Amino acid sequence: MANKIKVEHLAINYGNIKAVKEVSFEFKRGEITTLIGANGAGKTSTLKCIAGLLPAKSGKVIIDNGNMHIDITKMTPADRLRAKLALCPEGRGVFPNLSVFDNLMLGAYLNKDKKKIAALVEQQYEFFPKLGERRNQLSGTLSGGEQQMLAIARALMSEPEFLMLDEPSLGLAPVIVEQIFDKFVLLKKNGLGLLVVEQNASLALEVSDYAYVLETGEMTLNGTGESLLKDSRVQEAYLS
Amino acid sequence: MNFLAKNKLLFFAISFVVIGAICNFALNSYIQALVVSFMINAIMALSLNFITGVANQFSLGQAGFMALGAYTSAVLTKVYFADQWYFIPLTAFAGALVSTVAGYLVALPSFKLRGDYLAIVTMGFAEIVRVLFLNWDFVGGPRGYNGVVKWPDFLVSYGFTGAALFLTFIVLYHLKISWFGRNLWALNEDEIAAEVMGTPIAKNKRFAFLFSSFFAGLGGALYGHHLGYFSPASFGFLMSVQILIFAVLGGLGSMSGSVLSAGILTALPEILRSLPTGGIDIRMIVFPILLILLMILRPQGLLGRKELF
Repeated sequence: MANKIKVEHLAINYGNIKAVKEVSFEFKRGEITTLIGANGAGKTSTLKCIAGLLPAKSGKVIIDNGNMHIDITKMTPADRLRAKLALCPEGRGVFPNLSVFDNLMLGAYLNKDKKKIAALVEQQYEFFPKLGERRNQLSGTLSGGEQQMLAIARALMSEPEFLMLDEPSLGLAPVIVEQIFDKFVLLKKNGLGLLVVEQNASLALEVSDYAYVLETGEMTLNGTGESLLKDSRVQEAYLS
Repeated sequence: MNFLAKNKLLFFAISFVVIGAICNFALNSYIQALVVSFMINAIMALSLNFITGVANQFSLGQAGFMALGAYTSAVLTKVYFADQWYFIPLTAFAGALVSTVAGYLVALPSFKLRGDYLAIVTMGFAEIVRVLFLNWDFVGGPRGYNGVVKWPDFLVSYGFTGAALFLTFIVLYHLKISWFGRNLWALNEDEIAAEVMGTPIAKNKRFAFLFSSFFAGLGGALYGHHLGYFSPASFGFLMSVQILIFAVLGGLGSMSGSVLSAGILTALPEILRSLPTGGIDIRMIVFPILLILLMILRPQGLLGRKELF
């Protein structure tokens, strides 16, 4: 049973341009960890790199089981998914011309156990009742909030222990965002470790157990969600 | 939705036989040749539609695979099978296999590329193939390959080409609606999300490309035996574009759309040719105008992504 993911001195380049200079942080199971920062701070690049979509220039990503450390820095995205680390990409990334059901099935691509998959699908319909009602609808016809729920449900289909979410509030009405964050709290209580990248800093900090502030490729602040909410620098830059 | 349902199969079998009989007994050889041309065009359109429509990998090299199939089958029948027509199914299959191998070699390096870049690579491949045959004297070089063995009569040609079309359609259609097709749709619509789901996107693209090149080779082989003559110029860039037009017009992602548009676009120039226009050939004016109008009115193609049945 893994209990945390450690990112150590991670650096990411696009060609010669340094996107992320050097960041170190960790996120644990049963907690919500937030990464906040302005546009271009390197948040999405960091998540993509942890998920294996971008190569790391240097540094390590490690799954820490307490007594055993698994270095996943060089693994493919599929292998990281097998190691129970899932990413819900930015802009939702649902497949608009596939039905809700087909989207979920793709989320369980690595699972070969049909009965288990069927049970997982039902579980998502229970967790997000709206999706159950619209299971045969093309996902491109769902509302923005429903698409975001579908993207999260699809990521959950791989039964992750760690889930990374890239801007889940993007383009959604505040009331929907709150509903989605409520689900995060439920997921966390079920033992999932969540890493949320957000621009909507106030809400993210409210629900998060721990938070990091990323500025132009470097970690500048960290602390519990509460303490950062009260921090004058954070208030000035992200909450005013 | 199960295409292999018995009543549908029966319907297709009966209409296939009826059309064949009508063509054989009631219509002249000009129409007969057109019907076979249509079926070959449909095979080519299907082969491209699978890789470009379903998997969204833009290929402009279909003529190259077609040429490989055509030359392989023609040479094999001449050299090993003493120009006996009943070996054509075998050699056409061999032609398709050669095309598949070439497809694999093209796919290996080029699926690191996306979109326009892949189109340029496949286009370059088709040019290489064309120039290769242009300079190979054994197959006639620029004069073309003369005396390719032909089918003995219309019914045989109709039967075998029809069977090949049926095979192409059934295989690609079922792949499209299978779990593999779902993976291709996924990478078509959002590559990053598909990769995050753990689907092997590079492998899936290569696999789809293999099927595409196999059936393009098969279509090319049948093309050669249908006409009895071809030259490297037959498989130029224009041929690739023509195949692309078939696929786009029918609807990228719609297998039955490809067959439908191949039928329309094979018949249309001939119908326009036969119009009484007082000796002026308006075909080349009307045909492009119709294409432009259709793309304005239905940019998603005739059927979009849907199937007729």
